[in-house]
Amino acid sequence: MNRYFALLTLMLTLFATPALAQIEIRGPGQQAIPAALTPFLPQEGAPSPQVAAEIEAVLRWDLELSGLFSLIDPKAFLADAARIGLASTQVDFAEWQMLGAEAVIKGAYSVTGDTLILEARLFDVVSRRLLTGRRYVGKLKDVRQMAHSFADQILLSLTGENGPFSTRIAYIGNSSGHKELYLMEVDGHDPVRLTNHRSIVLNPDFSGVGKELLFTSYKAGNPDLYRKEIYSGKEAKLSSRQGLNTGGRYSPSGRELALTLSKDGNSELYLLGTDGSERKRLTKEWGIDVDPSWNPSGDKLAFVSDRQGNPHIFILDLVSGATNRLTGNSKYNSTPAWSPKGDRIAFSRLEGGSFNIFTIKPDGSDERQLTFGGGNKEHPRWSPDGRFLVYSSDKEGRKAVFIMRADGTGSVRISPPGGDCNHPAWSGSW
Amino acid sequence: MKTKLLTRLLLPLALLALVLPGCAKKPAPKPLDADLSSSSYQAPVTTMPSQDVSGFRQQAVGDGANAGDTVLAAVPVAGLERIPFDYDAFTLSAQAQEILTRNAAYIKANKGLKVVIEGHCDERGSDEYNLSLGERRALAAKAFLVSLGVADSQLTIISYGEELPLDRSRGEAGWSKNRRAEFKAVR
Repeated sequence: MNRYFALLTLMLTLFATPALAQIEIRGPGQQAIPAALTPFLPQEGAPSPQVAAEIEAVLRWDLELSGLFSLIDPKAFLADAARIGLASTQVDFAEWQMLGAEAVIKGAYSVTGDTLILEARLFDVVSRRLLTGRRYVGKLKDVRQMAHSFADQILLSLTGENGPFSTRIAYIGNSSGHKELYLMEVDGHDPVRLTNHRSIVLNPDFSGVGKELLFTSYKAGNPDLYRKEIYSGKEAKLSSRQGLNTGGRYSPSGRELALTLSKDGNSELYLLGTDGSERKRLTKEWGIDVDPSWNPSGDKLAFVSDRQGNPHIFILDLVSGATNRLTGNSKYNSTPAWSPKGDRIAFSRLEGGSFNIFTIKPDGSDERQLTFGGGNKEHPRWSPDGRFLVYSSDKEGRKAVFIMRADGTGSVRISPPGGDCNHPAWSGSW
Repeated sequence: MKTKLLTRLLLPLALLALVLPGCAKKPAPKPLDADLSSSSYQAPVTTMPSQDVSGFRQQAVGDGANAGDTVLAAVPVAGLERIPFDYDAFTLSAQAQEILTRNAAYIKANKGLKVVIEGHCDERGSDEYNLSLGERRALAAKAFLVSLGVADSQLTIISYGEELPLDRSRGEAGWSKNRRAEFKAVR
């Protein structure tokens, strides 16, 4: 159904003349648009090479990760690259057509004091028109945010879906000497430590609603569940029941959370209100039940259980109460993550001595392996637009956080060097 | 009898007090530099008391990186040994049961001792699953001790999953050391 709709849209937009139709993000080599990312030029005042370099670096990283473009080598650029072009009348499209470009990104900036004005444009070379344009006004220190925002805008105008480049990624890092909670941008820049528990902090999750995080910490001498407001820094213990309070995951509505408690003698799944009060016990099997992950409509949970022997992924229907096994004959499956689009579940499987990341449809069909080879890749989490995944991998020695497209291509490390970094979580829109 | 027990307890604790500060090889924590764009996040600040004593100032100094570290608050006890576990299992081997029998005798002979049983796993597998598996190991050890007459009120359990390995090397040699239950004293 979706394929027909996409094809129809493609045909209609082709007939409506623009060369760049609405397309889905696929791996490189499939429908990659040859594009020119030109240097942003100073509009008024003195040129600031640092500003230009930052904008270029951010856009280049974001656009390459998107998989939408194959970026033309800037060494091939001709005279038009050095001219400011903020309207289609100001751009020499013939020059770009000679280079084989189908899209051109152009822009200009002006810096006065610590104020920055950024103009950014995406042009369609074949139809010689502006596809999208933005003016950003803000502080000089926000230059990266502005560039990320334009990358999101480029994705929105070409695919109909906003990009994830302005969101945040949380993770657990131990470079301070203890496992603490950190926050960084999608490209790994500006990591910031959020906790000072000097104990063990684990497994964060973003609220879909507010700027809050859930995590487990041993700060009070037991694995307890905490909530932290990111901007005010306020923390509250949500659940400090006897035993484990782990794997806390906000429901998509933000009105309740699922987690594992072992207070009743065994690791079971429960629903809690956002005040930490117990709403419902979800599992009653003798096995270990952990790692809940909500579907986007908030009526199903994927989770890990060893009730049938080895750890497998199950799906619990919260309405009917029925539980069905998702993963097949393999021996050890864990860390499920349900895509915000609802159509796939990512998880980690142990095969040949290593964990690798797979995705599968919720009905158990169409299983695909995304990562390969040695080392352990675990804890996959989806971007809010469902087109990218973040995960932890120790294939480089220490554990680090990587990002990749949903088809497994384009993987690149984003966590800073120093110590181990894992348990990533991806925020909603920021 | 009492003095023997006291020295058995005090001597290892005294030795630990000498050795522990040196054991802390973790680097000093970097100052919290959390300057989020529109936040006023403040790092918690501890001020140490200072006092004037005959012309010079002195300041109490804490243990730096490990001050307030709840994980390190439980200390090993010379009379209690750790027990090993097989991979992905929480059953007690014959060797484990022998050790537990000796541990039970020690705890019963020290009615004032509060013991925390820690469950640990090797690094393989999901962190979350290992937290639960570690808990099962601690619970299995506790149940065995109670069955030998140890007072339930003297025992608490906690799981650290794969978070606190003894041996960080890859391979069965290291992993087998990490699959364990530890018996520590809490104040």
